[in-house]
Amino acid sequence: MDSATGTSNVLLSVKNLSKHYGSTKAVDDVSFDIKKGEIVTIIGRSGAGKSTVMRCVNRLVHSSGGKITFDNVDMASRMPGKTLRKTRSNIGFVFQHFNLVYRLTVFQNVMHGRLGHMSTFDATLGRYSESDKERAFEILSSLGLEEQIYKRASDLSGGQKQRVGIARALMQEPSLLMCDEPIASLDPVTSRTIMDIIVDQAKKRGIACIINLHQVDFAKEYSTRILGMRAGKLVFDDLPELLTKEKIDDVYGVSALEEGERAYAVGMEAMAVVG
Amino acid sequence: MLAKFFHRARPHGSKKDGYRAVPDEIKKQRRLYYIVIAIIALAFIATTVNTSFNPFIIFFNMENFIAFIVNDMIPPNFGRAVGLWDSLIQTISMAFLATFVGGIISFCLCFLASFQTSPSSVVVRLVRGLASLQRNVPTIIWLFIFRMTFGIGITIGFVALLFNTVGFLTRMFAEVVDEVGNESMEALDSTGSAYLPKLAQCVIPAAIPGFVSWLLFSVEINIRSAGIVGAMGGGGIGMLLMGHLNAFRYRTAFAFILVLAAVIIIIGVITDYLRERVLSK
Ligand SMILES: Nc1ncnc2c1ncn2[C@@H]1O[C@H](COP(=O)(O)OP(=O)(O)OP(=O)(O)O)[C@@H](O)[C@H]1O
Ligand SMILES: [Mg+2]
Repeated sequence: MDSATGTSNVLLSVKNLSKHYGSTKAVDDVSFDIKKGEIVTIIGRSGAGKSTVMRCVNRLVHSSGGKITFDNVDMASRMPGKTLRKTRSNIGFVFQHFNLVYRLTVFQNVMHGRLGHMSTFDATLGRYSESDKERAFEILSSLGLEEQIYKRASDLSGGQKQRVGIARALMQEPSLLMCDEPIASLDPVTSRTIMDIIVDQAKKRGIACIINLHQVDFAKEYSTRILGMRAGKLVFDDLPELLTKEKIDDVYGVSALEEGERAYAVGMEAMAVVG
Repeated sequence: MLAKFFHRARPHGSKKDGYRAVPDEIKKQRRLYYIVIAIIALAFIATTVNTSFNPFIIFFNMENFIAFIVNDMIPPNFGRAVGLWDSLIQTISMAFLATFVGGIISFCLCFLASFQTSPSSVVVRLVRGLASLQRNVPTIIWLFIFRMTFGIGITIGFVALLFNTVGFLTRMFAEVVDEVGNESMEALDSTGSAYLPKLAQCVIPAAIPGFVSWLLFSVEINIRSAGIVGAMGGGGIGMLLMGHLNAFRYRTAFAFILVLAAVIIIIGVITDYLRERVLSK
């Protein structure tokens, strides 16, 4: 946006990223930059490649081509394990299914966010520093989880589990936070709480944010910029107010009504065969 | 519009099949069951004819069997059962020690044998292959092999049990680790955690109930095998029992049998109870 400070503001730069699974082009020549302070949402139909983009950025998935620059490291290339872990420790990741260790307490799960910053020896033995523990308490209470600190993660509600997932990511003190459909398993009211928490915390701590969403209205409301993906390609990259009805149709390919009708017909057919 | 889709979207097409109540796959499976049952029945007939052994003789000869027990085995003679308690303790220690040492070895190996945590799938296949060899060759065979090299006694009994235990527990522990699931491990990867912290902070805490449960199960198996292994030269209560049987001292032998059976049942009940407790946590 402002060219004077231009490139120095860029936190993450994705250039010509592609990822193939056999003949499926999950991500096809995608390029975008994320600047400090941005809240970017990615929308698109199921299978459009949103998750794959995110997973390529922290190298949970190895990309087939392109360049992903974060912290002066190319996450699309091979690198020593130590470099990979150090870079990952600066990227928080929030999962749709929370991905907690359910037998452990909320507190233990949140402390996992520090593992990437510790020596392997200390991390293996779980020897966290006092200041890290204090920070965990601080984050947990700012997310409204002070009552839950010593509960087992398995005993929490979905919304609480996701807050633990966010707390774990914040414990990393990341400069970038990626959330892959953080509210897809939650009810509408809880969804709003979680979105508020993510965006508030990101702003308060100066963390740039990428969020995959299925809810276009949430995307428009919360983000400073929206990316739209269709069949592995980036087809929209602009301000939320410029995402018009036509653009939405373009991102989603067919009109939602038509989709629903076909799904219904296929479903009826499946039932007939089973019956 | 809808009707059009109904016609187009029918996956296996033809109207002449109608809608089948039982899909083909299930019919095929049923046919397979019938074939297997028929083969077993044929094999049974063939073997009984061939060996002229009538398996139903045990039912016709019931009186002899009972008479033998009443006349020759009852009452058990504890008075002449020298070394009963010492050898019992030997057998129990042999079983526990094999489980304990086997558990430690398997704990280290299982991470190499699980697809989730192993550095490579070649290593997985190698370790699993070794484990199934150890597990699928019966304890008795291991015992005979060691007996030829080391002679009889409690040591080879222990080693034979240990071999089986490592094979069994490595496989079962690896399956527990497989079930921990990729999701939480992925979360730890994304925090930048190294391999060992990931095992220590995520995989092991999640796998502990499974590990303990299989360990308890292994105690039960090993107590049972320890009796038999002993009888075949592995020392302990089984070996003394065998001695009395061979010398036709049935009442003394019966004393050993009663004690051994009681111990096996009691330990089985205790471990079953503990397993339930562990798994419900
Ligand atoms: N491990 C995999 N192996 C093979 N194909 C995969 C794999 N992961 C993803 N794909 C394919 O890549 C494409 C993009 O998947 P991706 O999960 O990125 O979509 P998405 O936009 O996140 O969808 P959703 O909204 O359902 O989460 C899909 O066609 C999917 O089938
Ligand atoms: Mg996805």
